[in-house]
Amino acid sequence: MPARSHALHRPPPLARRTLLTAATAGLLATACGSAMSQPAGKVALHGDNNDWREPLVRAGDAMRSVAGVELVPEVIPSMESFEQIVKSSLRTRKTPDMLKYWSGYRLMDLARTGGIEELTGAWDTAESAGWVDPTLRPAFTYRDRVYGLPMNLTYWVFFHNTEVFADLGLRAPTTWPEFLDACAALKAAGITPLHATTDGRWPAFIWFMEVLSRQDPDFYEGLMNGRERYTDPRAERALTTIAEFADNDWFTALDTNHVDAAASVVRGSLGMMPGGTFMTPNLINAGGEPGRDIDAFVLPMARAETPPAVIFESSALVCTVKGPDREEALEAAAAWLHPEVAGAFSSTLQDGSPNPGVAPANPLLDGVVSTVRERGARMLNRFWELGPPELVEATVDDLAGFLLNPSSARSTLATMQERADDAWQVWREAEKS
Amino acid sequence: MSETLSAPRATPPRPRVRVPVRSPRTGRKQGRALGGPLTPIPWLLPALALVGVLLVYPFLRSVYGSLFEDNGFERSFVGLDNYARLAEDPIFSRSLLNTLMWVVGTLLLPVLLGLLIAVATHRMRLGGVIQLLVVLPYAISGAATAVLWNFMLTSDGAINQVLRAVGLDSLAHPWLLEWPHNTIAMIVASTWQGTGLNVVLFAIGLRAIPRETLEAAALDGATGWRLFRHVTFPQLKAVTVVVVGMAIVNSLKAFDMIWVLTKGGPSRSSETLALTMYRETFRLFHVGYGSAIALVLTVVVVASAWIYLRRQMPESARS
Repeated sequence: MPARSHALHRPPPLARRTLLTAATAGLLATACGSAMSQPAGKVALHGDNNDWREPLVRAGDAMRSVAGVELVPEVIPSMESFEQIVKSSLRTRKTPDMLKYWSGYRLMDLARTGGIEELTGAWDTAESAGWVDPTLRPAFTYRDRVYGLPMNLTYWVFFHNTEVFADLGLRAPTTWPEFLDACAALKAAGITPLHATTDGRWPAFIWFMEVLSRQDPDFYEGLMNGRERYTDPRAERALTTIAEFADNDWFTALDTNHVDAAASVVRGSLGMMPGGTFMTPNLINAGGEPGRDIDAFVLPMARAETPPAVIFESSALVCTVKGPDREEALEAAAAWLHPEVAGAFSSTLQDGSPNPGVAPANPLLDGVVSTVRERGARMLNRFWELGPPELVEATVDDLAGFLLNPSSARSTLATMQERADDAWQVWREAEKS
Repeated sequence: MSETLSAPRATPPRPRVRVPVRSPRTGRKQGRALGGPLTPIPWLLPALALVGVLLVYPFLRSVYGSLFEDNGFERSFVGLDNYARLAEDPIFSRSLLNTLMWVVGTLLLPVLLGLLIAVATHRMRLGGVIQLLVVLPYAISGAATAVLWNFMLTSDGAINQVLRAVGLDSLAHPWLLEWPHNTIAMIVASTWQGTGLNVVLFAIGLRAIPRETLEAAALDGATGWRLFRHVTFPQLKAVTVVVVGMAIVNSLKAFDMIWVLTKGGPSRSSETLALTMYRETFRLFHVGYGSAIALVLTVVVVASAWIYLRRQMPESARS
């Protein structure tokens, strides 16, 4: 009886073999296949910012009507993980089709791997149609070839509460002395004048970037491109200025993040917050309204005779060579700067557009764009995108150390220069190869 | 009756039953029937493959990788240079010191606090409820705990607000901005989360102590600290070995809370070896240098575990 029962319940010998075969086939398919391929007419775009998901969907809707391709946003909500995944997958067939990446040296770093597509043709077509600001081109170029298209155009500005300024008889400063006077007046009124932070690491560079680029934009550009030295007196002067601000007790606590700072500006307990125009939604979410109580200005030049400059930031739309939907990715890139696509994207993101024909998304942005264009401000790329990424990553920590101990200007600069010597040597050797 | 006595009835011969006897010869025969000495190999292969692929190969690959300068795309052989660099790197020294602080702090705070709470609540009327409350934070993930403590530890956070409200302004501090306060603050946050499990383990240990032993000690006049020191605590040895072992491992692998609260900053001041390894390898793409740090961390973990377990495990278990 037991034997019979066993015979009845034993699975047929083929079942196990079939199961093993199926499992092996499944494993092989997973290992070798391109799991991220999208259905026809769709292409995935990977980024590190969840706030970009909805704007990308809107841009994708517009793109479907103008080019027949739809964007599928995929977000890895951690800058560190995103960069890691991109770099480790670029030479494999599991790499994403399209990326939201950084411009400048980070893009060059990626281009050097040979893993991303050249987009010079798409740029030239867009430029001839008037769809892209040509001054942005160097930020997306490596060895005379374009490897990315600008997705947004953020201007780095100082957000402030216009009602608080009006109460104190202040207006958005247009000269350096006016800026200093505004800080002093805010302090005297019991309001912390300026936001400074090391929260999240990267913001530690903001003050160095803003002050140095206003004191000497040529030197800023030279230093960031390895032609000048951190031990130069001009770099020391920038840190001394920041140290003076700290000594005046003009800064917030250095662990105040941008979300809290934006809320403080709206509440009127913080005078000014330096940041990219992409941070406008932080102020709106805190109850502010651009054009009513919230506005922004470009930090004036330290010397009136220096031609005006503004820091910009622009993410790069990149197509990978080995992405599973490469052809559709290239079609999507060609349509990215179309006014309808770029307009849908920037109006949802509430940030500037690299397409000069797209209307600014809100009154605050309108004011900043007008100022930049009327004054013919020189566009300088952000600290984070300039210089070998390895150097930027390390100097950000040095600048955080300086903000915590503003008396350490010289030693900080000496350390930064040591790092720069090593990093630029490695970068240049790689250039030769 | 006499008949019975005088003429005993012959008993019928019992049938011979063959009792199976295992002889060396038959044993060999059986073994041969199952395939010989190599028979276990196929059964061991999956486990060996798993350990080999997930543990041995990555370890050997890290050792090999640590001999190169590698940026993820290009590499060149540098021998032991990465290890020499470790000795001169102030960030690595700080990281090693922070790791040591985590080990000492995790041994001192969650273990002692866990033991204290378990003993204090052991015979208490609402002891179970108190233990449950202490255990609750253990159910929260490390990242969520870090977010919660971020609200408490920032310069304008809850702790400083309370201190200022009660007039202790001088004690208010930017907890996460300065070393060593940031590391100590994160150890405290980790204690808040991790103590509960230790309380449970010690409570189980306390319940396992025979009542007769405690009663006998009490009859002999042992009470309070003496009772705990000479009777209760020695009987908790097995549990203590587990709790301390877990504390050492947890402190050496501390990552999520530090990453969420400070990202190892500011200025890399709160990094532990795990974070330094991550940053060097995956942020700065110093893959070879990161491998060298990983190897140092591995040596620290294995050495700590080996020394500790060798001292604590009973001889019989070791043999």
